[in-house]
Amino acid sequence: MLGFDVIGFLISWLTLFGTYAILSMSLNLEIGFTGMADFGKVAFYGIGAYLAATITAFTFLFVNGIKCPLHSVEAIVALKECASKNPALNVSIFVLCILITFIITGAIGYLISYPTLRVGPAFLGITVLSFGELLRIFMRHFEPTGGTKGLAGIPHPLAWIPDPRLRDGIYAAIVLVVMLLTYLLSEKIANSPFGRLMRTVRDDEIATLCLGKHVPRIKAAVFFLASGLAGIAGVLLAYYLGSVNPDMFVPAVTFNVWAMVIFGGMGNNKGALIGSAIITFVDRISFVVNLLFPQAIISPDYIRWMIVGLLILITLLFKPQGLMPETPIKTLALTAVAEESGGEENA
Amino acid sequence: MIGPTEVLNTIWIGIIYMIIALPLTLSYKVTRIINFVHINFITIGAYVGVILFLLGVNSLLLVIPASFLFGAAIAVLNHFIAFSPLEKRGANPVILMIASLGLWIFYKYVVYAFLDLGQKVFRTNLFSVIPRATSLPDVSVGGYVLSGHFFAAILVAGVILGVLYLLLSKTSVGRAIRAVADNPTLAEISGIPKERVVSITWALCGGMAAVGGLLWAVFAIATPEVGDALILQIFAVSVIGGLESLLWTGIGAFIISGAENILMSLLNAVLGVPVSFRPFISFSALLLIILVKPPLGAGGGLPYRFKIVRHYKR
Repeated sequence: MLGFDVIGFLISWLTLFGTYAILSMSLNLEIGFTGMADFGKVAFYGIGAYLAATITAFTFLFVNGIKCPLHSVEAIVALKECASKNPALNVSIFVLCILITFIITGAIGYLISYPTLRVGPAFLGITVLSFGELLRIFMRHFEPTGGTKGLAGIPHPLAWIPDPRLRDGIYAAIVLVVMLLTYLLSEKIANSPFGRLMRTVRDDEIATLCLGKHVPRIKAAVFFLASGLAGIAGVLLAYYLGSVNPDMFVPAVTFNVWAMVIFGGMGNNKGALIGSAIITFVDRISFVVNLLFPQAIISPDYIRWMIVGLLILITLLFKPQGLMPETPIKTLALTAVAEESGGEENA
Repeated sequence: MIGPTEVLNTIWIGIIYMIIALPLTLSYKVTRIINFVHINFITIGAYVGVILFLLGVNSLLLVIPASFLFGAAIAVLNHFIAFSPLEKRGANPVILMIASLGLWIFYKYVVYAFLDLGQKVFRTNLFSVIPRATSLPDVSVGGYVLSGHFFAAILVAGVILGVLYLLLSKTSVGRAIRAVADNPTLAEISGIPKERVVSITWALCGGMAAVGGLLWAVFAIATPEVGDALILQIFAVSVIGGLESLLWTGIGAFIISGAENILMSLLNAVLGVPVSFRPFISFSALLLIILVKPPLGAGGGLPYRFKIVRHYKR
């Protein structure tokens, strides 16, 4: 089939999978474990991507003593020239961006959630959804970051590796490592005492209150963490694509993540991983199909989105627990008890 | 500064916000579902108008009932396909909201796909059209030329609001709707057929939102994103009403449209705020309302007042 590039396809799929898996695990922390409907995932994803792009472009221009607006053509040319000069700078900015973005997006998430969490779960959804749209409209008109055109030519953290295939491969591996760390972190949190608290909030807020727990504070903490993780996913995306523009962050991205979490199984991190693997794979395949049939009567893109919508609905209607149902919490004591009783049954 | 343009804009945009936001509040009151498909009703209502105008139907008197019926049909369909089965299984409000989100995505891209096809059939650009009923003459008042659509919209809105008021306050259907909104269990015990009342409410709400979308398109423009572009304002208006009071939703429509037009032009003239900041006004209004007059308990949550819960230390 026209010399179809399998390795390139795999690399792009794995990078996309890693990014979306981080997003869906962060959403899983909110909806699966704590029961908060965050319809504005894309806002924090977008903030992360824009922060990374702006910080990197600005630092590179500043270090190399070039004075021009971030979005101008001269800046893109200059960035391309100085991208591979200093490997240490590339890597350190990458790490720094991830840290800064986590804190800033988390803080923004906390601020947004402060008033809304105290009213009712529906309002968080509405407010954050409109916040995402608002940011997108704002970025379209905000000239310093390029308006509708956005920023381009962001230096890749591995720009000093000459072979592009090797570079993309290593970057995909980095993304997968970050994803793995996120997975371990959210598993750790979900199985900790705080994780049990999160599930109590989801199942019965009144009972949690009666136990003397501050429900809005628990929710806000989870929201901080999840927003920060979404910001990290945004950073990874910005470096992968090398450019950001406002129209990448439409609400459709949020829907995609929701479909992943619901299809994979709410309250189960493995489910979120599987859901994002399947949906990003279909995404990539439909991209290839799109290239093969440019003259289709109805664009395959629209059909794909219809399927995403239907997938959410059908899963909720017929298999509400998703592909992988929620598992009981693992604690040291519970595991020990389970082993003991399991041993007795065998004997 | 504030000219007749801003005042007129405030009036007609306020009326349209009212027609769109009232059914959102009403459907929430009766069903306790935050319904994102409301956004699709707007888009679909607008495009029913566009297609009918293209087919040569020129009278608003025919187009408005058509778009009402279409919106109503979709709303009732949603109820029977998704919301009713989910509710019977005892799904919580958040799950119902997510289901409506799924339906929103589905309908949104159905509209896109339909327009993609329609463009090939009609051979015109359907992705941004201004539907115009040519039969309406323009009126000039004191040097200002007012489109005939302006009066048509006010008339239509007046009729719809009047009918809604009479329906809710004077008829037995309206009483049943209000009873279900107040206490579904009690209403069912009293012998009110809850299922039928809920379907009637959905039909009413879907239809009204569709007509609102049509009127919006006649004034402004019809794009597949027309409903999505109104999310923020419509939800802000409904939150002013606390998702509870129809009267305050109506007042809120004018507050938001006034803030967007009159306040915006003031800010633009005095402080030089660019007009592209307009959505920020609605958003800050939304946050302000939630902070100052929170619609407590709405959305299926525990009401927390904004006071510090003190943990007494010994």
